Amino acid sequence: MSTNTHETTAAIGGRRLRFAWYVLLVALLAIGGYGGYLRLAEGLRATNLSSTVPWGAWVAFYIYFVGLSAGAFLVSTLSNVFEVDGMHEIEREALFVAIVSMIVALTFVLVDLGRMDRLWHPFAWRQPLSVLSWEVHAYALYIIVLSGELYFSMRRDLVARSEADDGLRGRIAGLLTLGRTETSEESLETDRTWLKRLGMVGIPLAIVFVHGGTGNLFAVAAARSYWFSALFPVIFITSAVVSGMALIALLYVLRARLGSRALDTDLLERMAALFVGFVVLDASLKVLEAFVGIYSLHPGHVESWLTIMTGEMWWSFWVVMVGLGWIAPLVLLHRRDWRRRPALVAAAGASVVLGVIGTRFNIVVPAQIEPALYGLPTGYYVPSTPEWLLSLGIVALGVLIYTIGTELLPLVPRGEIHD
Amino acid sequence: MSESEAADEPMPTIPGSSGDDSEDSEDFDDSYDEMVDVEATDPRVELEKTTYRTDLGIEMAEDARRVSRGELSSAAYWEKYDDDAATEFGDDYRETPNPAVDRDDGTIDEETAETLGCSVGSMASVAAALEASENAADAESKSDGDGDGDDPRWGMVIDLQKCVGCESCTVACKAENRTPPGVSYNVVLEREEGEYPNVSRTNVPRPCMQCEKPPCVQVCPVSATYKMDNGVVNIDYDRCIGCRYCMVACPYDARYFDFGENYDGEFDEGGEVTSPEYGTDRGPREDGESPVGNVRKCNFCHHRLERGEEPACVETCVGDARYMGDLEDTDSDVNELASSSRAFQLKEKEGTDPNVYYLK
Ligand code: SF4
Ligand code: SF4
Repeated sequence: MSTNTHETTAAIGGRRLRFAWYVLLVALLAIGGYGGYLRLAEGLRATNLSSTVPWGAWVAFYIYFVGLSAGAFLVSTLSNVFEVDGMHEIEREALFVAIVSMIVALTFVLVDLGRMDRLWHPFAWRQPLSVLSWEVHAYALYIIVLSGELYFSMRRDLVARSEADDGLRGRIAGLLTLGRTETSEESLETDRTWLKRLGMVGIPLAIVFVHGGTGNLFAVAAARSYWFSALFPVIFITSAVVSGMALIALLYVLRARLGSRALDTDLLERMAALFVGFVVLDASLKVLEAFVGIYSLHPGHVESWLTIMTGEMWWSFWVVMVGLGWIAPLVLLHRRDWRRRPALVAAAGASVVLGVIGTRFNIVVPAQIEPALYGLPTGYYVPSTPEWLLSLGIVALGVLIYTIGTELLPLVPRGEIHD
Repeated sequence: MSESEAADEPMPTIPGSSGDDSEDSEDFDDSYDEMVDVEATDPRVELEKTTYRTDLGIEMAEDARRVSRGELSSAAYWEKYDDDAATEFGDDYRETPNPAVDRDDGTIDEETAETLGCSVGSMASVAAALEASENAADAESKSDGDGDGDDPRWGMVIDLQKCVGCESCTVACKAENRTPPGVSYNVVLEREEGEYPNVSRTNVPRPCMQCEKPPCVQVCPVSATYKMDNGVVNIDYDRCIGCRYCMVACPYDARYFDFGENYDGEFDEGGEVTSPEYGTDRGPREDGESPVGNVRKCNFCHHRLERGEEPACVETCVGDARYMGDLEDTDSDVNELASSSRAFQLKEKEGTDPNVYYLK
């Protein structure tokens, strides 16, 4: 058949592309490795952090990836908890992205610690009044819940694959079934029930603890008036959902283009519409928050906003956060038929994924610029080269884990693969 | 180079420590020696009052001086007198520990000291013991009590009218706590107000406030920073993971991260002693051990408080602008000053209730 030859050429093209992709990732990892070496050799001196601005790029990336994870997870619950039609297709992908994002986020936390050798201390000593202490535990629990969900979601296909495939994939699939190889309707029902249960545990966990809590981390720091607002955790959640949706939409289109998966235009449109809705919600909340802050004329707020809008990194607000994060997706997706065009949805997704990085930087850094007491030095911070390099490497690591995952795991439900 | 060496010349030397001391200093020493001689008693007369052999006493004393001058080794001394002393002093001699012989560092251990009824040990332990006994006495005398017990609540009062902004406190603190570059437990903030000709300038020294409700303690995920009963907020360098959450939570920017920088070659032993503020020497900083990678801050010179001394900044203050004491003791200066109408705390609305008070 004609489709056969078409697929063969696609496969060859695909193989080349794949090779190039891995080469690129390894190159980025090597660059990141150099950054990591500088970080290890010089300690935090390799950064542009100071006692005035103790939190910088790595903290921004950390909350960014936690947000991405929470967002992607919430997308997955649309399928397994809220049973929105057609979302099943992207459920596992969303869960897997959520897990990888958490790994990336925690790697950023690790490199940011003054004493990396003591990463385990929060599990040995606790402090019930510390949001961070709770967060660390919530993250651990969250990763367990996510993995559990992915397991129950994939198990049927893992069993099928381990039976059909003798190679590496089959063996890995066999291991991942954890020995539960039954595929009776009854056992599948158990899987679905547990999936839903975990999803229901996961929703409050992701919203209240993992991401709302990460927002709280900042909001409770009463010393920084820019953060000290109850709207802050809420905005954390909305922008998390926005970034998670953007990434899932982008990946959905990309994987359909690169692989041989059919694109469901209705699903695409539904995702795009939801996505636009959340962008609008997120932007409105931020505008409200800014209004109240600036209106107060409180120096902590006003200075922070001035820094954001006119400071050294003004572009991260105007170009990245507002331009890429809000305006671009709204322009690209404002017409119904545009929301059905994969290329436009993917572009909007990519733009927002980048835009929210700006949002995160604008949360972390500006609040620390204004000194706590009159007469103390004013803060100054732009990330140093090692900080950028290592960040690049850690992100590349995440992408690599994701890529390998897509190759080895049945992330696309069987029966919906078109072969 | 030669200039700096010349500048080193007039440094005081330890009398008699080296042979080639200048004439002047020897004359100087002699005059003191004479003063001492006036007070000295005749050893022979004194020893004859005892029941022990006078000649042995004199002989031992003379040789003891030779030991201290370094002409005779301590081991040789005891070899010479051990038998004589044993016969002369009997059981008393045998049972009394002899630090010079028993222990390498020439000290006796605490237990022995206790049995002998003499207070020895490090300054800190002596002060702690004294404080404990004082506190016990206090607790007894304060039967009604404003009550919550033995610990003082250390507080500081800084009189802004007396502060001249000389930053001696900042320097004294650096010297006392050997803080590395970028870490300064104390700073003096300057504020100029008004327009010419009505201009006023206020200097506000800022140590850590040792808040009664410290946000830094509240946020620390591993309880590495904690509030002590005596009011001081401390940091456990062995537990702190360096997340710097406490730094963003402190409303006074009183915390500093130790990036591991050193005053390389700027003074002798720079970077040698790593955390004297907790009475610990953690070896050379170059090894990157804690407190490198930790957060650091003022702790009211806790090591000095322990041995009954004021913090270095208080002791050094040129204008006598700083007071240190127990805020709970109604007789103390700080208690009185902190309740005067001039007193205020920084950022009172934060609700942190600092133990550092300022006088307007
Ligand atoms: S001044 Fe800052 S560091 Fe000191 S106790 Fe208060 S909050 Fe903690
Ligand atoms: S930097 Fe250290 S003391 Fe400060 S919050 Fe983190 S673990 Fe606690």
